[in-house]
Amino acid sequence: MASQRRRSLLTLIFICCAISSASSDQVRTSYGDSDQIRSLCISDRFIMESYFTTSHTSLDDSEFRNFLLLQQCSSEHDPTSIVPATSLIQHRNVTGEGSHRNLLTSIKLLPFYSESKLHELVILERLPLGVFADPFELQSLQQRRVFSDVSVFGDTNLELPSFRSNRSVVEIHVEVSPSDYENGEISLKLPLHARYQPLDDSGYSRVEFGEPDLFLCSSHEQRRCLVLSIGRSKTETRSVFWDIPAGIRGHTEYVSALTFAAAVLSAISILVASVLSSKVESCKNSKQS
Amino acid sequence: MSRGSENTDDVPPKWMSFRSLLVFSMILRVFLIVYGEWQDAHMEVRYTDVDYIVFSDAASLMASGESPYKRTTYRYSPLLALLLTPNSFFHRSFGKFLFSASDLLVGWFIHTILKERKVPEKICTYSVMVWLFNPFTFTIGTRGNCEPLVCAMILWIIISLMQGNLSQAAFWYGLVVHFRVYPIIYALPIILVLDSKIFRSGQKPPLENWNTGQTKTPTSNTEKKTFLFNLFTALKSLFSRERIMFGLISGGVFLACNAVSFYFYGHEFLHEALLYHLTRTDPRHNFSIYFYHIYLHYEGQFSAVEKLISFLPQFTVQFALVSCFWQDLVFCIFLQTVAFVAFNKVITAQYFVWFYCLLPLILPWSRMKLKWEGLLCIILWIGAQTHWLLWGYMLEFKGLNVFLQLWVAGLLFLAANTFVLVKIIQRHRFSPLFTRYESSSPKHVKKLH
Repeated sequence: MASQRRRSLLTLIFICCAISSASSDQVRTSYGDSDQIRSLCISDRFIMESYFTTSHTSLDDSEFRNFLLLQQCSSEHDPTSIVPATSLIQHRNVTGEGSHRNLLTSIKLLPFYSESKLHELVILERLPLGVFADPFELQSLQQRRVFSDVSVFGDTNLELPSFRSNRSVVEIHVEVSPSDYENGEISLKLPLHARYQPLDDSGYSRVEFGEPDLFLCSSHEQRRCLVLSIGRSKTETRSVFWDIPAGIRGHTEYVSALTFAAAVLSAISILVASVLSSKVESCKNSKQS
Repeated sequence: MSRGSENTDDVPPKWMSFRSLLVFSMILRVFLIVYGEWQDAHMEVRYTDVDYIVFSDAASLMASGESPYKRTTYRYSPLLALLLTPNSFFHRSFGKFLFSASDLLVGWFIHTILKERKVPEKICTYSVMVWLFNPFTFTIGTRGNCEPLVCAMILWIIISLMQGNLSQAAFWYGLVVHFRVYPIIYALPIILVLDSKIFRSGQKPPLENWNTGQTKTPTSNTEKKTFLFNLFTALKSLFSRERIMFGLISGGVFLACNAVSFYFYGHEFLHEALLYHLTRTDPRHNFSIYFYHIYLHYEGQFSAVEKLISFLPQFTVQFALVSCFWQDLVFCIFLQTVAFVAFNKVITAQYFVWFYCLLPLILPWSRMKLKWEGLLCIILWIGAQTHWLLWGYMLEFKGLNVFLQLWVAGLLFLAANTFVLVKIIQRHRFSPLFTRYESSSPKHVKKLH
């Protein structure tokens, strides 16, 4: 009986793999070399809570995967470890104008997952260097029940330019209800802000977004998370980018020269006006007394 | 401003009395605070300033026994967080009421100072209206910005000096420099004006009134010697009793406040509240002419020579203004503040309040008429700001690379500031704050007649 069940499950997986490999470019295999990571067992509220405290410094793919490997559950706690390798990101885009824009992502959850009793979708956005998320803005979104939980880890300094800062990661928790499986898509809108970019001769600096990491987690304290998809920093199929204005290196010399010239000229004008005004007053005095 | 003798033209109509102006201003501010709460709750764009949220968060951290500096971008004295602790247990708008009350207090102080100097009632009222009805003024307090507190302290220092209350002036001066570093630029003119021939502590110093200047009696003119001679005599009697007392008391208060803050909050306090303001080089766009220069050089480091060069124009202007105008103390600190803001590495709109509160105090002595010179100055200054804001909007909200245009707009704003400063200097009727004591020295008696 057990072996029959196992055989039918394996067949199901095989079929799913076949379907996924034959599908359109929006669907791709989620992970190649990291298919060992299937589920995580974590004791913190957030998956990334211990990332920066356990001597990880960057957010690049290899370091991040190593971190996930350490959080893996031991096999006896892992009954539903089989995950069909289909992409869940339907749509990804940066909308808006100027220095404050939104990263839109829409995620499709397969009905298969509704049986897993894991009701919280966790999205990890490992943000590229040129942008940041405002923790206070995100908190107010959480208060308005847009997300059930959200936190920013890493470099959250709002003021430094990108070449003086490090990357940050936004962890978003979204409650998943049975209707979400039926309706098909969960949409996320993450407000982001541009940092000051390194100088560029073209006047703009391109910031590229990779794919988010997706997990399906349980809601109780000792969290069990199913790894749905581990994104790559650069995608092969779709290109999501943001062109941010940057200073032009060629301006440096004459901007500095003219700035100081203007300051000196203004200072001299005020100096002359002050001295002349004092002299006028003293002339008036000497006439009258 | 028109000359006046005591006739009915100088008395404003009843509805424009100072008391009714104050009541009306109070009602306006209460309305704006209540409206602000509504807008915050119902609209995308908040009425409340981001800084107010920073203060409130820091205050609630302090109320729960933690360091207010845990709140990122809180860069003020712990005193401010302490003042705002009622925000957490009373009402979140307590701070706004406190700042608006300070704002009204500034109006009251302006009225007091002008009345002490015997300015006619009508001119007094118009001057007070320049502060109370300035749209920038009533929005800044109601949005939750703490600058009105600083302005109130500065004006109280002036009142204390006018009343001969040296220790009180020194106490508040030490406190205000701890609170906001910029008033340190007033140290030199205040010290200079504490000349023992014109100021003795414990006695109310004789003030030069508005009238004496208008009619130009010889009495007042003997005070105006060449500025070089004034500076020389001032330096000679540098270490008078009053000056030493002022220095010791204000220095003591400043150090005590810093010591207590350091005791509670350690290096975080030093870095965030003090050192940050002294070494701030923000490459992000602002009104200053230096922002693009700083951004273009941010990847490297500034050499010591470069830092010195950028500080020279500021230093020269401050020194020139103090040397020429220290006797007319209020005018001097007004000019110093405008120049300080204009030549600073970072300029944000909230710095303008620092000289808006001093402007009503110098207007009665200005020969500038509103038509057309006054209007020209206002239009040029506001026009240059608006021009900058337009480019700022293109950069921040449309995402266009307009750094060069923004920088040029900054240069134009400096030009407008310089023009307005020069015009105000040219049209000012120089009037020392204090007259000399009718001393026993025969030399002085001779000169008076």
